[in-house]
Amino acid sequence: MQRREALRALGGAAALPLISRDLFALGRQVHAAAGATRRVLDAHQDATVTAMADLIIPATDTPGAKDANVTAFIDVMLADWYDPEDRDRFLAGLADVDRRHQALFGKDLVDGTAAQQASVVAALDDEVTRLRDADQPYGKHPFHMLKRLTVIGYYTSEVGAEKETKYTIIPGRYGPCEPVAGPGGH
Amino acid sequence: MAKTYDAIVVGSGMTGGWAAKELTEHGLDTLVLEAGRMITPEADYVEHVPPWEKKFRGERDRKKQLVDQPIQKECYACDEWSSKFFVNDRENPYTTAEGTSFLWLRGRQVGGRSIMWGRQVYRWSDLDFEANSHDGYGVDWPIRYADIAPWYDHVEEFIGISGEALGLPQLPDGKFLPPMELNCAERMVRDGLKQHFGGERVLTIGRCAVLTADHNGRKACHYCGACERGCITLSYFNSINATLPAARATGKMTLRPYSVAHSLIYDKKKNRVTGVRVIDAVTKHALEFNARIVFLCASTLESARLLLNSPTPDFPNGLANSSGQVGKNLMDHIMGGGASGRIDAPADRTTFGRRPNGIYVPRFRNVKDKHPDFLRGFGFQGGGGRGGWGRGIDDAGFGPEFKNSLREPGPWTFGFYGFGECLPRPENYVEIDPDTKDAWGIPALKIHCSYGDNEWALMKDASYTAAEMLDAVGAHDIDAYVERNAPGKAIHEMGTCRMGRDPKTSVLNAHNQAWDIPNLFITDGSCMASSGCQNPSITYMALTARAANYAVDQMKQRAL
Repeated sequence: MQRREALRALGGAAALPLISRDLFALGRQVHAAAGATRRVLDAHQDATVTAMADLIIPATDTPGAKDANVTAFIDVMLADWYDPEDRDRFLAGLADVDRRHQALFGKDLVDGTAAQQASVVAALDDEVTRLRDADQPYGKHPFHMLKRLTVIGYYTSEVGAEKETKYTIIPGRYGPCEPVAGPGGH
Repeated sequence: MAKTYDAIVVGSGMTGGWAAKELTEHGLDTLVLEAGRMITPEADYVEHVPPWEKKFRGERDRKKQLVDQPIQKECYACDEWSSKFFVNDRENPYTTAEGTSFLWLRGRQVGGRSIMWGRQVYRWSDLDFEANSHDGYGVDWPIRYADIAPWYDHVEEFIGISGEALGLPQLPDGKFLPPMELNCAERMVRDGLKQHFGGERVLTIGRCAVLTADHNGRKACHYCGACERGCITLSYFNSINATLPAARATGKMTLRPYSVAHSLIYDKKKNRVTGVRVIDAVTKHALEFNARIVFLCASTLESARLLLNSPTPDFPNGLANSSGQVGKNLMDHIMGGGASGRIDAPADRTTFGRRPNGIYVPRFRNVKDKHPDFLRGFGFQGGGGRGGWGRGIDDAGFGPEFKNSLREPGPWTFGFYGFGECLPRPENYVEIDPDTKDAWGIPALKIHCSYGDNEWALMKDASYTAAEMLDAVGAHDIDAYVERNAPGKAIHEMGTCRMGRDPKTSVLNAHNQAWDIPNLFITDGSCMASSGCQNPSITYMALTARAANYAVDQMKQRAL
């Protein structure tokens, strides 16, 4: 259900036209900003993040991380959310990704085949998993940072919410025990 | 000569809205003073703004919060949507005694914290009103359940409470709209508890101030899930959605936002408060407003602060404080003893919609028996559910398989989370810190508060019994814990101007009227003589309505 329809479906509240106008004005601002130039990531880093995010959450029968413009969200987080040392660790992690890819395949990750890129991502994911399984701190591992930002960025995006999770802003009812294949989840 | 109102109400939140409604409906020309800004639902409610329209997608403006809201951010509701309903900590400082901490989580706006409250509503019983008289902590309440029961009815009928009647003596039933539904995991736990604990430990759906049917011009809940962001259909109770509009409809209410109460004005000859000194929050000019009676509904800590900041030659330790009890006996609810685990609820079933409510297990300790380790008791909140995409952050894997795995809901889990009664103890108190002033030049509070052995024993047993119940109903991977939360975190602070039977040992009489000054009423959480373990707002509201009607009667009889 589209938001405007959903809001209408609520009915009754005289204030709805006003608030929905505000909602859509805000939406336009955010979407206008999405095409702007990056504030932290340079073109190469941008391409590296986009490629890796799309390996983590690829397009399948629904859109993937790239379609959801996850890289723009990651750039915002690097610019305005993380402390400088965490931002720098993340960026150093991107350089490390290229070093690993170079060592294996003689080229940067963005120039690799999908299978080559996936082998580097798999090694990094295993590294984080080993830390987690050994109860070692892993939150600051650059690949964990990237994966976390990718997951959040994708599932909170408009395409992720509407196409993948079937998120409904206004469910209209509570179903306490519905078939999993039922009318959408959260 | 400035206008004299019939009544001034300081505060427009949970209790201020009720005082305003009751006083104006009885014809009193009432001025409501609110420290913060106006709230307009059409502009300020943001419950339907989706995460993709927020800059940090729900991850909060972390750096800004570290500067402006280092204390407020400890509240789950102080998020990217609702942080605007919490105060700026730099403008609103307070200090704590060395070696202690207290989280004062506050909202300053029309509606106060009723905008972001947890909406859980549980009546007290005589088990609670008689507690002090039985074990000697604090002073005896001057009222019993029979005194407040009609006022619980009155409040509940107006605000609309959904819940299930249980017939338990320790948790009286109310005037309920249809209950919300338990989900499949919660039903399993409920049935398992019935089987293993008989009627001793009972699980019910939370009793909450969220409508399950249209009520008094407000619409039934549409399960969008984030009440603390506002509600354009007015489906949960807050003062903006219900009590303030009722007061406004009388034509008798004047609501003045941006009015920071500084102190009370006292006329020694008449022994009456004659008004309130206010700092205009915008111009910072000092103003005075006059009235025949004054209701303090400013919150537990603010009402105590106001009295302590209003000393006179006759009340050198703060107005209405001949007992010395103003600011004393600060309580919260200790929370965070509990347990969680996995439940074998049907794997092919899940929930739809976001129910803004959980489960409740009424107090079962020290109800009939006597526990050797602690006085009083605790109740559990909590609930069951299945994980969403968020678990992908910590799951191994990537690619189509990873993505598809997150499309399925995660395992069913269930948690019990305890809220325990805090004893009234004089060593938990507030005083004025003369060296610290807020943004309006008003001296701030220094808070001395810590939990004692009884509170920690309650949480230890809450954790133990939560795990015991999960084990009994066949849960797996049970994790039992006791969080070390600072006082204040439950945002149920109360007790700094207690009611009592003796003016020497209490601040307020049985009608929330100051023993020392008959036209001064205090009806927010500060009036509480003990804390129970139930979420307190409904009791504050009932006491407010009761006190307002008493005050009106007294005025009619020319006693005030």
